[in-house]
Amino acid sequence: MALPKLREFITPADAQGVLNALRNYQDRALIVAGGTFLHGLESRGLLTHVEALIDIQRLGLDYLESGKDGLKLGATALFADLETMPEIRNDPWLGAIKDALVFPPVQVKNAATIGGSVAASCPFFDVPISFMCLDGVVKCRGSSGMRDIPMQEFFTGLFANAMENGEFMVELAIPRPRTRSASAFMKVETNANDLAILNAAVRIDVDESGTCSDARVIAGGGVGETPIRLSDAEQVLVRQRLTPEICARAGLSAKGSVNPISDHRASAAYRSEMTRVMVNRALRQALDRLRQ
Amino acid sequence: MAKFDVVGHSVRRPDAYDKVTGGRGFPVNVTLPGMLHARMLRSPYAHARIRSINASAAEKLAGVKAVLTPGDVPQKKFSPLFFMPTESNELIRDLVLLSENIRYAGQPVAAVAASTPDIAEAALDLIDVDYEELTAVFDPEEAMQPGAPRISPTAANNIARTPTLSRGDLEAGFREADEIFEGTYCTQRVHTCYMEPRVCVVDSDMQGNLTVYASVQHIFGLREKLAYVLSRPESGIKVVKSPYIGGGFGSKLDLVYIEPLAALLSLKTRRPVRMEHTRYEDFITNARHPMKVYLKTGVKKDGTFTARYAKTIVDTGAYATHGPEVIMVHAVFSFFSAYRCPHQKWDGVVVYTNNMLGGAFRGYGAPQGCWAVESQIDEICHGLKMDPLEFRLKNAHHEGDAHPFLKQFTLASYRLADCINQGAERIGWKNRSRTPSGAGTKRRGIGVACHPLWVSGCVGLPDIYEHSGAIVKLNRDGTADLATATIDMGTGQNTTLCQIAAEELGIAAESVRMSYADTDTVPFDAPSHASRVTYSAGNAVKAAAGEARRRLLQVAGEMLEADAADLEVRKGIVQVKGSPDVNLTVAEVVSRAESPLVQMTAAGPKVTTIKEKGSIIGVSSMAPPGNPSPCAAEFVEVEVDTETGAVKVLRVVYAHDIGRVINPAAAQGQVEGGVQQGIGYALMEHLQFDPGTGACVTGDFLDYKMPTAVEMPAEIESIFIESDEPTGPFGAKGLSEVCLTIPAPAIANAIFNAVGVRVRDLPITPEKILAGLGKL
Ligand SMILES: Cc1cc2nc3c(=O)[nH]c(=O)nc-3n(C[C@H](O)[C@H](O)[C@H](O)COP(=O)(O)OP(=O)(O)OC[C@H]3O[C@@H](n4cnc5c(N)ncnc54)[C@H](O)[C@@H]3O)c2cc1C
Repeated sequence: MALPKLREFITPADAQGVLNALRNYQDRALIVAGGTFLHGLESRGLLTHVEALIDIQRLGLDYLESGKDGLKLGATALFADLETMPEIRNDPWLGAIKDALVFPPVQVKNAATIGGSVAASCPFFDVPISFMCLDGVVKCRGSSGMRDIPMQEFFTGLFANAMENGEFMVELAIPRPRTRSASAFMKVETNANDLAILNAAVRIDVDESGTCSDARVIAGGGVGETPIRLSDAEQVLVRQRLTPEICARAGLSAKGSVNPISDHRASAAYRSEMTRVMVNRALRQALDRLRQ
Repeated sequence: MAKFDVVGHSVRRPDAYDKVTGGRGFPVNVTLPGMLHARMLRSPYAHARIRSINASAAEKLAGVKAVLTPGDVPQKKFSPLFFMPTESNELIRDLVLLSENIRYAGQPVAAVAASTPDIAEAALDLIDVDYEELTAVFDPEEAMQPGAPRISPTAANNIARTPTLSRGDLEAGFREADEIFEGTYCTQRVHTCYMEPRVCVVDSDMQGNLTVYASVQHIFGLREKLAYVLSRPESGIKVVKSPYIGGGFGSKLDLVYIEPLAALLSLKTRRPVRMEHTRYEDFITNARHPMKVYLKTGVKKDGTFTARYAKTIVDTGAYATHGPEVIMVHAVFSFFSAYRCPHQKWDGVVVYTNNMLGGAFRGYGAPQGCWAVESQIDEICHGLKMDPLEFRLKNAHHEGDAHPFLKQFTLASYRLADCINQGAERIGWKNRSRTPSGAGTKRRGIGVACHPLWVSGCVGLPDIYEHSGAIVKLNRDGTADLATATIDMGTGQNTTLCQIAAEELGIAAESVRMSYADTDTVPFDAPSHASRVTYSAGNAVKAAAGEARRRLLQVAGEMLEADAADLEVRKGIVQVKGSPDVNLTVAEVVSRAESPLVQMTAAGPKVTTIKEKGSIIGVSSMAPPGNPSPCAAEFVEVEVDTETGAVKVLRVVYAHDIGRVINPAAAQGQVEGGVQQGIGYALMEHLQFDPGTGACVTGDFLDYKMPTAVEMPAEIESIFIESDEPTGPFGAKGLSEVCLTIPAPAIANAIFNAVGVRVRDLPITPEKILAGLGKL
């Protein structure tokens, strides 16, 4: 049965209404944004405790703003709208988001929200790790006000995150890089409607001399209960002039630092090897973007 | 002038709009007043005995109307196959509706009918079952070992059947061989993935008569099996034919638990009862049998077969169901009779395991056999440095040969060579490189596979129903109603059969309408399966339409004072041959036939003739005249990513000899659908189970992967070699299965051509390719 204990479907008009409902129902409440992930949770029996659904789509959180500090993406803004932002389409530093948005099916893009994709805390999703490599920050709201959680500290386990009971996500902020920067995302999947067997998102920042000043290498999709940041691979890149050989070395390093799972979709050995290939390919793609 | 007015044209399906908008014709949309909803409780254990079962709490839940546990249902053993007589000696009857012996995870143990689906579901949680868990065995070869858990009380070592076939002297054949090739080829369990779930609504009246609506491929089969399981007379069960069903592909050729359980619940509650599978339940209801095929083949240096040996192990699952039958069709049509060879032997083993049941799936054993045979031919050609096309042509049957298995028939139309040659031309076979080509991490290759021998129905095979029937009735507006028990499961048969009737009647395709039918009102028909409908049902429709036309011409003859033999009917006009001015419309003739004997005119009463009176109707019920073989050659081009192992199918050229093509667009649609299922089988589809519990872990489309539009090749070219089958309706043969039996070996052979990796077990996952490249 869908939600055997469901008693209420609440559609608050403002943030206070959401907070009230969260306080009333505690961990028996579930926020709904686009609702695209609910079926997956429900059919696996993960929502049997839910007594109230709280729809947050009337809160006006569907904005997408670009300023000098970076992007402010409202929690209920849709993938379909994000995809059409000129900066996402054109700017090399946001390449990873553009790449990740290629994968969800059109129907999902028309309903899925930025907040839902992050808050779902599913390690197999694509879009969140593109935010992660860009040092995105989750802005969440609780009874005591606003709180920032860096994406890299956000995921704490399978379907678990650093938000407290009573808090909900209102925005994702992405800081504008201070140097030249490019990012890219790659995915291994079986068909066009698949969770990642493995995915990788990378960012490279370079200074005026063309030397890599900072880098992010993130892998997800079966590498663990959460997507992970691969600092060793990043260290291969930093302070180097980036070449295909360096990218390949970073890929190898990435492979060495993951310990993926085996399941019915792929073996651990395959996922390890794909970490190498996808990190390498994503870095090459980012490198190409830098040169544009 | 075209030979045909209707046949050979891509007539639009009249029900297309209805279907894509989820029309009311789908059985899933049937609702009746006062209807109850039923759900099943299923065993979490793969092998167990029920010690006790207590449903009293469930019965007390408000809204629950009836509960069935093993003690409440007949314990009669049955085989669920629709297309064979229930008591056939070919079958093993070992299924029980609800049993205390559990043989697979998900086997139903109880059923509840309630006023809403949610209440029925909630009641399941209140049924208390005490199981004694037994050791389960999931691997067929382990199941055959002495000491393995005993699944069937009657099958020693869990072996259900061990059929064999043999011809010539195998050892002599191997002695004649210049080279001998050996290999073992495995296939996985896959589901048909029809869109509409298994669903039924069963109603009962005060006399205990049942009326059944269900998503099945055979209304008479459902009636027969239901009557058997429930020990009720067939005449007390009416199965209503739905205008169309949402796919079947073979999965709807069996009685499943829902129909008899809904019937019993309806009889108990005196209310209509609806049962519908969840997608998970569909996935664990039946699937294409996994097979392991060992091949040993002797060939001369010039590529002629001298000896062929095969052994097939079939995992039939927890109950025998299709196992004993599918293994024979597999053996005969994809191995034993596929090519010419004087010395052959085949051994089969049908094994019980604690896995889900096997079922019918488009191709019925042939995809597994073609996978082995057509892959090995590629290996042989590689070994002999011989062109795979030349090799196949050398060993192929020829038009006019005696049928290699059904000795009473000949291969009167058989154009495999044309399929091979025209397909090769279109794909550019002669430019195919023997060594891998491509740049960077991508390599391209071209492969071929053939399906040399198949069926247009089941005539000649023991104990399989074949005959078909039709009623064609002309209307006063010049149109005709066609009633048959044939189910259109998405193949477009409603349209194709109407075209055949229209051609024979001499009226427009749009003037024939597929009308209502149920098991009370139309002649018996075998199911929609075995590539038989266009051929077998087509012949019956043509015969009924022919009878109606004869009657039409008789009446017209009376009206025109001409001899019926001198009349013809085309495009809705009856005319005297050679004098087109002397004519009547079909509408005028039918109106006269149904008008009163004496008609009042301005000049007073006018008496027409008795001979003209009576509805113009034709009825047929007949076995088809033969079992001609369609055949096919498929060429594919693939691109392999040597770093990820991912395979992309770039191009497909599929050449078929299916006799006359009645509806080219529908035929092309069949081929494209077949290619899609074939690519899924080749590259990704795989029903998987938890190795500990036997529970399905790929029970929805997130985990069960099939090709989407994105994975489909940009180009699928269908070539139809139009032979003229003398026994076919307007020269037609069957199509629907040969178009999905060989994509898997064709793709495997193309992958070998691209990267030199030979994968012998399906699906060909990226991992297997990387392992073959030494990268894992
Ligand atoms: C068929 C299909 C294909 C997909 N393919 C891809 C793909 O290729 N790549 C990819 O990256 N993703 C893919 N997805 C996942 C998709 O991106 C997510 O389902 C979607 O982003 C979730 O957003 P939503 O708004 O629908 O969230 P919902 O389903 O409404 O919610 C998801 C979860 O997040 C919680 N939640 C939502 N918003 C908030 C908030 N503001 N604060 C706190 N908690 C919140 C909910 O309580 C729930 O637990 C696919 C999904 C489907 C169904």
